Amino acid sequence: MPERVTLDGVTKRFGDTLAVDDVSVTVEPGETLGLVGPSGCGKTTTLRTVAGFETPSEGAVEFGGQEVTNAPPEARDVGLVFQSYALFDNMTVRENVEFGLKMRSLPKVERAERATDLLELLDIGELADRDPTTLSGGQQQRVGLARALAIEPRVLLLDEPMTGLDAKLKSRLQREIGSLLEDLDVTALYVTHDQAEAMVMCDRIAVMNDGTIEQVGTPDEVYERPANDFVADFVGTSNRLAATARDGRLDFGHATAPAPNGDDGEVTVVVRPEAFELGGGPFSATVRERFYLGEHVRAVAELPDGESLTLRFDPTEAPAAGEEVSLALDTDRVHVLPEP
Amino acid sequence: MSTLDEGPLVARLRTGTEALLSPTTETDRERRRIAALALPFVALAVFGAVVPLVVMFRISVAEEYLTATAGVQFDAWVTLLASILAFVPGVGSAVDADPVYGEVIWNSLWFGAVTTVASVALGIVIAHALEKYDLPGEGLLVTLISFPISLPGIVAAFMMIVWFGKTGLLTNVFVWLGGEASLFPAVTSNEVKLTGRPSGTTIAVFGLFLGYLYSMVPRATFLLRGAYAEVNTDAEAAARALGATPWQTFRYVTLPQIRPGIVGAVILTFRTALAIFGTVLVLKALSVVTFRFDQILKVGYDLPTASALAGLFFFFTVGFTFLSLRFTSAEVTG
Repeated sequence: MPERVTLDGVTKRFGDTLAVDDVSVTVEPGETLGLVGPSGCGKTTTLRTVAGFETPSEGAVEFGGQEVTNAPPEARDVGLVFQSYALFDNMTVRENVEFGLKMRSLPKVERAERATDLLELLDIGELADRDPTTLSGGQQQRVGLARALAIEPRVLLLDEPMTGLDAKLKSRLQREIGSLLEDLDVTALYVTHDQAEAMVMCDRIAVMNDGTIEQVGTPDEVYERPANDFVADFVGTSNRLAATARDGRLDFGHATAPAPNGDDGEVTVVVRPEAFELGGGPFSATVRERFYLGEHVRAVAELPDGESLTLRFDPTEAPAAGEEVSLALDTDRVHVLPEP
Repeated sequence: MSTLDEGPLVARLRTGTEALLSPTTETDRERRRIAALALPFVALAVFGAVVPLVVMFRISVAEEYLTATAGVQFDAWVTLLASILAFVPGVGSAVDADPVYGEVIWNSLWFGAVTTVASVALGIVIAHALEKYDLPGEGLLVTLISFPISLPGIVAAFMMIVWFGKTGLLTNVFVWLGGEASLFPAVTSNEVKLTGRPSGTTIAVFGLFLGYLYSMVPRATFLLRGAYAEVNTDAEAAARALGATPWQTFRYVTLPQIRPGIVGAVILTFRTALAIFGTVLVLKALSVVTFRFDQILKVGYDLPTASALAGLFFFFTVGFTFLSLRFTSAEVTG
């Protein structure tokens, strides 16, 4: 049975540096929660605290209602998957996968059976007797995952597991590991600086900044309705436009549009590039730069008040640089943040 | 050899020399850089090893410069090898020779091995502590640990006298606890002057053992610190998460990674143990090879035997290092 993992007011200080500041979050049984944020935001320290390598300065960590705050890593039953793979070079692939079971004194036959099953499940059965250093990055990461899953962990911790892999392999592994985690029904904490990866891999995402959690939500909640300016900026590409909300409309100075909800006063409107559609107004802008990216064209346009807009067009209809364009706004896809 | 055969060789030598003096390609320039960088080593090898070794070997077979009348004498080698054989259990009784050299070689080997094992074990503990934890006053600690490297063995011996000498700190404590005869000091009496063979008591050998450690532990530690710096800490963390205790993590994950460093430390410290002179000269607790050299040269000025012993010492050290490195290489690339 997958277990619930709870962090309750976890704070971690290193001398005068506050690495994690009063983090409270719950990973539901069987859920994959993504911890995303820029480098140094405290996500890895949070993961290490869950693993038992850091003792929180304040707060508590619970697995399935049982407090493990001060338990050593070896007593927590956590599976760790690293960016660096962290395989044991002095052991074969099979010995790597069996390691956790050996530490649990499982009989040799049982160890071998479970390792074979996992290696087959991860499609690397033929590599069982290989030296892990001779494997490709993707294969090594599969071994790392098989090794972590072999102990049937109470929680699986993945620390930037896809960073360093090439784009194509990354995309394939994301699909495979994502469905594997779902099938195995394991509770997982997935740390990454790549918000796009987190959106693919995770049921919910916790966006971290400066040691605190800014927002926790499903990928579409975080993307479509960011809680604040930081989340809007960090997750995906966004345009943040200053406006005045009044009588159900947003007044941008040079254009007005219906307000999605009953805000009033000075607001910041978060508009994703794809919420703008070519033609129909009320916005007009001059295209300053245009980047052909294959599947779409990204353009940077200038509004009459000098603000920049990032836009996304189908390559067949994308305007040229220097062209003046009329833009319609899909107000169902804008999100209004009150001024802080 | 005919002129036709020499032609290409001379031509190649000429081309090689020209390329070295006036290189035209990057490969030539690289060869010139290698030659320039190798020059100090070659000079050192010739003046510091090759020439003295040849002279030493020559002395071992002919003390005076070779003349038609003097000829080659293998007496020193025969004496040395007979002495070694005389010391070997089982066959020793059949050989009519003084087993003194067999004894000093055996002493050097067993004492060197014991002190090496102890030094490397302590070096692992210290390097582990320094590399794995943030120790208070780490800078000072490192300085203190490195200190003995720059001190001569005589100072190490003096340290032992301070502790175990007749008026040493520990001697006084033991005397205070158990009376005058409770502890024999590390420094043996004048027995060595009478017999030429010190036979240190257990406590005296223990004092010498500590004196050796004083010189060897820092060397082992610093070599092992380098090995520890290469350890994959993520792999150690993975092992802990998989249920390994700190000891199991060390045994299964850390130790295999620092093994090349351990072999390097064993080679270095064992050779240091064989070469230590000042400590054993002062403490006189055990007759080892270096101590015997002093005796041979001081008492009888027996240059041929000293040369033969030095030659044996040299070939053993080179052979030991070569075999150890080959073994390490096999382990690493295996």
